Amino acid sequence: MSAQAPRYSARVRSLFGSLEGAGELPAAAGAAVSGEAIALDRLAWVQFAARVDGGRIADCRFRAFGCPHTLAAASFAAAQLRGAPVDAGFALDAGRLARELEAPAEKMGRLLVVEDALRDLLEGARRVQ
Amino acid sequence: MKGAVYLDHAATAPLDPRVATAMAACLADPDLQANPASSHAAGRAAAERLAAARSQVARLVNAPPEAIVLTSGATESVNLAVLGAVRGAGSARRHVVTSRIEHRAGLDACRQLEREGHGVTWLAPGGDGLIRPDQVGAALREDTTLVSLMHANNETGVLTDIAAVARLCEARGIAFHVDAAQSAGKVPVDAAVPGIALLSFCAHKLGGPKGVGALYVRRRPRPPIQPLHHGGGQERGLRSGTLALHQAVGFGLACEQARAALGEEPSRIRVLRERLWGLLQAAAPAWRNGAAEPSLPGILSVGFAGIEGESLLLELDGEVAAASGAACNSATGEPSHVLRALGRSDEAIQASLRLSLGRSTTAEDVDRAAAAIVHAVARLRAALPVGALERIA
Repeated sequence: MSAQAPRYSARVRSLFGSLEGAGELPAAAGAAVSGEAIALDRLAWVQFAARVDGGRIADCRFRAFGCPHTLAAASFAAAQLRGAPVDAGFALDAGRLARELEAPAEKMGRLLVVEDALRDLLEGARRVQ
Repeated sequence: MKGAVYLDHAATAPLDPRVATAMAACLADPDLQANPASSHAAGRAAAERLAAARSQVARLVNAPPEAIVLTSGATESVNLAVLGAVRGAGSARRHVVTSRIEHRAGLDACRQLEREGHGVTWLAPGGDGLIRPDQVGAALREDTTLVSLMHANNETGVLTDIAAVARLCEARGIAFHVDAAQSAGKVPVDAAVPGIALLSFCAHKLGGPKGVGALYVRRRPRPPIQPLHHGGGQERGLRSGTLALHQAVGFGLACEQARAALGEEPSRIRVLRERLWGLLQAAAPAWRNGAAEPSLPGILSVGFAGIEGESLLLELDGEVAAASGAACNSATGEPSHVLRALGRSDEAIQASLRLSLGRSTTAEDVDRAAAAIVHAVARLRAALPVGALERIA
């Protein structure tokens, strides 16, 4: 397989290229919560960290190991969660992530790992609010 | 802005411009349009040009021109050698010795023989990627008809001691097929070593065109080969079909140029490869897949802890053209069977990159590629989950 990789959507390339939201959660007011999902058999490992303040997710960061779609989905999800109410419901499932990223069907297993990490995070967020 | 550094010569080498010119000239030459098998003057002119090209091909592997069968490439050569030698040996059930780290052409040909009822012993390499001659010796049986092994592995570059294996086969009267698709033109390859009955190679790994290859078939004793193609009886009945003269001309010139470069080029490329490996230490923890020596000078298979191969390739897109740990399985996306046979985990296989240097590679290319890889690895590691670097390798 050569380095030319034409099977990524422009959205994936953009998110993967910037990896916005990757790294440490900065210290700030509010309760820190985290969520994680590991599936090394699918070569995916995703961690989210968020700060909950006043019923909202004040900030959200991610760390991830995986393919470009995994990293792009984690970056997209972290950006979507920033500023969102904790109890707004869960709309960021793997299906939505796949549509947003125009991901091929074979990536669904890895996007489910992102979904699992998000669910873990939001469960923690609801507990602390 | 410069283009991507091409470090995928093991997949295919860039066509040498002199080869392209010679092929175009051949295609355009009104005196070389006839079928080389035709007996008229125009046919004889084409046949003469073909003979010259065949001699160039033969010289690369120290073989007589009459021992060279032109094919469509190494895949066909390997299939003709493996299937042809066993089927040609008669209807009885036969035994073949090969390894788990062969190219898919060799693996699949041997699997086909298993389906036809023949026995195959699949030798496993050590963690260093080496298939040792004593393993081959221990696997030989009374009914062994063929030993088929790669000279240089296409993913790790590790070299098999084919002279030692040839001696074993010679002593037992067993046909030995060498898949030299990666090594021919990169290091000296000598088909005249006693015991080598068949040897496969192709043009596009050494600066020639895709779509043409060769199978050396020893003349005395000539192994009985059953052809895969039937028809006009070209290539001494082993490969029917009208020969593509321009392909042979390109192959011949590429072989001649590769042969002329064999004195200096292997050591130059080896120095560049070790320079690359040295520079990649900046991306430690990193490891090398397969033994550093004996190996083909131009192949470096490396892995980086905590790195997922597909992300690394996208990160390098436009900067370095290389192959992932799924090198030979891009159609299926399955991890490399070669690295798996070396005992690597799926994570380690996916974290691996095959960098293959060639005649066009310069020191500047190596420095640029190393800088790009080190930067890419650092960027991906910066986003890793806590604890992942230690766990994923």
